[in-house]
Amino acid sequence: MNYQKTIGIEVHVELKTKEKLFSPAINSYGSLANSNCNIIDLGYPGTLPTLNQEAIDLAIRAASVLNCKISKKMHFDRKNYFYPDNPKNFQITQEGTPIGRDGYIEIEDNGTKKKIEILEMHIEEDTCKSIHSKERTLLDFNRAGVPLIEIVTKPCIHTSREATLYLERLRELLLYANVSDCKIEEGSMRCDANISISKTDTLGTKIEVKNIGSITNVGLAIDYEAKRQEELLEAGKTLKEETRRYDAKLGKTILMRVKETGNDYRYFPEPDIPYITLTEEKIQEVVKNIPTLANIRREKYLKSGISLINVNKLIANKDLSDYLEELDGVNLKTASNLLLGDIQAYLNKVNKTIKETELTKEKMAELVEKLDSNIISNKNFKDIIEDVMTLNLSVSEILDKKGIKNVRDDSLVLDIINKVIIDNQSVVLDYLNGNERALKFLMGQVMKESKGSVNPKIANDLLIKTLETKK
Amino acid sequence: MNNYLDLSIAEIHELLLNGKIKPIDLVEESFKKLDDNKLNAFITIDYEGARKKALELENIKVPKDNLFFGIPIAIKDNIMVSDLRCTCASHILENFISIYDASVISLIKNMNMIIIGKTNMDEFAMGSTSETSYFKAPINPWNKDKVPGGSSGGSAVAVASGITPFSLGSDTGGSIRQPASFNGIVGMKPTYGRVSRFGLVAFASSLDQIGPMTRNVYENALLLNLISQKDDKDLTSIETNEDFTRLIGKDVKNMKIAVPKYFVSDIVEKEVLEVFNNVLDKLKSYGLKIDYVDVNHIDKAPILYQIIAMGEASSNLARFDGIRYGLSKQEATLEDLYKKTRSEGFGVEVKRRIMVGSYILSGENAKIYYNKALQIRDDLKKSFEKIYKEYDLILAPTSSRPAYDVGLNKDDPLRSFMDDILVMHANMGGFPSMSLPMGKISGLPIGMQIMGNMLDEAKIYQLGAFIEKELNLYLKVGE
Repeated sequence: MNYQKTIGIEVHVELKTKEKLFSPAINSYGSLANSNCNIIDLGYPGTLPTLNQEAIDLAIRAASVLNCKISKKMHFDRKNYFYPDNPKNFQITQEGTPIGRDGYIEIEDNGTKKKIEILEMHIEEDTCKSIHSKERTLLDFNRAGVPLIEIVTKPCIHTSREATLYLERLRELLLYANVSDCKIEEGSMRCDANISISKTDTLGTKIEVKNIGSITNVGLAIDYEAKRQEELLEAGKTLKEETRRYDAKLGKTILMRVKETGNDYRYFPEPDIPYITLTEEKIQEVVKNIPTLANIRREKYLKSGISLINVNKLIANKDLSDYLEELDGVNLKTASNLLLGDIQAYLNKVNKTIKETELTKEKMAELVEKLDSNIISNKNFKDIIEDVMTLNLSVSEILDKKGIKNVRDDSLVLDIINKVIIDNQSVVLDYLNGNERALKFLMGQVMKESKGSVNPKIANDLLIKTLETKK
Repeated sequence: MNNYLDLSIAEIHELLLNGKIKPIDLVEESFKKLDDNKLNAFITIDYEGARKKALELENIKVPKDNLFFGIPIAIKDNIMVSDLRCTCASHILENFISIYDASVISLIKNMNMIIIGKTNMDEFAMGSTSETSYFKAPINPWNKDKVPGGSSGGSAVAVASGITPFSLGSDTGGSIRQPASFNGIVGMKPTYGRVSRFGLVAFASSLDQIGPMTRNVYENALLLNLISQKDDKDLTSIETNEDFTRLIGKDVKNMKIAVPKYFVSDIVEKEVLEVFNNVLDKLKSYGLKIDYVDVNHIDKAPILYQIIAMGEASSNLARFDGIRYGLSKQEATLEDLYKKTRSEGFGVEVKRRIMVGSYILSGENAKIYYNKALQIRDDLKKSFEKIYKEYDLILAPTSSRPAYDVGLNKDDPLRSFMDDILVMHANMGGFPSMSLPMGKISGLPIGMQIMGNMLDEAKIYQLGAFIEKELNLYLKVGE
């Protein structure tokens, strides 16, 4: 009989709040060390925590998208332990009344659906960041007090594939609910896996692999760890509860520490923060404001005729998808083509987000409208897009500035066509004699004459119509 | 020497208003008394800052409606005053200089009061004699062989010896009221949440409360007016906006008073009971209705206090670790740094309480002791609330005995808890309670306590002022 893997996953996610959980200091990433911390974050004597309502709201959102039951009455607890990254030597967390319980996420693997059960999710404060060098350890308190939620699954995951699917789905949900940036590389999402193997219904010895650097590596770490445990068991060894880390370069898990029995955090209710009551109205109000989640967007995009490839590209680029969500009554297919094409290319080139450009929703809607109704050509679009994104001018103003005329004006196009017909009498004759390739040449001349500013489709139709009159 | 500071606040204000005296005269008088009497009431004296402030105030027209203008005040050394040392009477914070003002200090500074210095106390407010101070312990001005009480001993001595008319103390299990009793002054522990705790170094967060210590009831109510304000920096602070002097002088004849039998049982010394009964007789003869009542769980307060206060203290004092501020013993390993810093930094009593508190919160103990204590605390609160449904106020002696000899408690840590056996209930329930002088025993003042329902400070002051007037004690050191 084979060993069965049993995996439970704990994820810490930083909430995207303006301020910290218990102080008005700014919640930021990448700022100058110790520039965003105040006396509360430093655990100064006499300081007391305040409570960031935005963090509670985001935690309600998270609990809601993870299908958790939300605690209507909750409190915070102190978890007491000494470590230099823990300024008060206690962490304010939720032990007794986590904000969410008994939730689940549905994953789908080759058409098979499975619910990954979530035991609980709670709110807590982040520690500060330790930077170890040979001689000493430096502390950066910018991270101290940043709001976190910790999401703990039941031990209901049995393959590395399930684990990675769960994490991808979790990330997507929290990202789209605007709860967190979920950037594993920046530490705003951190994954720990508890792995055990057993041949019977009784679970084996649990081994924790902490702070795994990517979702892919979670899968690799699980498979490595399960294999390592199996080899030990087969060799007649017994396993001890321990904490390990995954070294991606070596592709191995490495022992950090053996768990001591009875780790005693001396939890007790935080006396400085009164109990919090969440009314049903309050919860509903928060839930109402959750942005459209990825799966709903996915369906909508497919329905509007966007290709599956582009749908996936959009979902993977939340900024663009968010932008698309804000466009009202616009042809999504055209808009998505523009966003994923020249616009994204430009954004990548200048390393900016779409919100940082001059491409307002109004300008974008105008571009889509003009393209769809053949007022401008794709060539025109390419010619003006950089100006549209960098100048505080309307699309029409930019077209004027670029000397791109109102090319939909048939008489203007006709003038060009007539000039081309006069200049190329012999080719016209060829066409009239049935040489279809002559049309292509003439069309090329029209485009050249107009410097590409006419809509090719309109020009082509008009050219044929005009030539027909010569027959 | 001038004795302006012996005048009432209203009289001092009148002199300032008429330009007869200046704030600097008051400050110099404070310093003179302080330097002369050598009572160790202060840990840090701000000669420079107080004088500078007094001279600055000469450029401001004395505002008619600000009785606090230019008045010296003493602050217990566990309350943060920007740029002054805040030691909590501990070696671990011996050289810690505050970089911010507690919310109460901002209020005091806004009214242009003058902070004379930081007063001596039991280390981290743990004790009831002020003898656990790392510094030289303060002395009772009535008798130099006696303790001044604690933990706000220095703040009580400052007022009793006339150094300042006002001081601030903090009260976790009687630390304002017991020294008030031992020094013959008035000390109020307000309703929990009435005064912001932001900037008060936490001992037991769910019990701590800052309160005013003064020479008389009226001035106590005045100071509470000033320091009580809802504060967004303290989530446990409450909406509060009232004049606590408003009932003073109103008739008390119709008040119904309860005296818990436990508070007049043999846990209190006979002489103290005699003085207390005298007061009760006076009140009865004036027409107040006084009943002796039973209160459920009333005898459990010292046990609850030890569990809850020590549990919370063990966590609150964890931050003093030598990493970010305060004493830091540089050792080769982190564990040694922690060990050495905390072993040397804290005194015996503080370490004892941290150990007991850690034990109480450990593993299963949290359920057996701490959670159980919280339940009984809730029941105790309810049984007091039941009394307040029928009675306006509760009366009791403040302490079971007057100030006792220095060193008496030293080898018996439990004795110190028994000192507070009559005062902890107010902290457990969050109720307001005030101690005021009720008489003298062998030359030493002794206080009585008026306890009220939540937010009933004004009623306490009403009866307190009446008793003060009826007894007409006018206790003054040296007279």
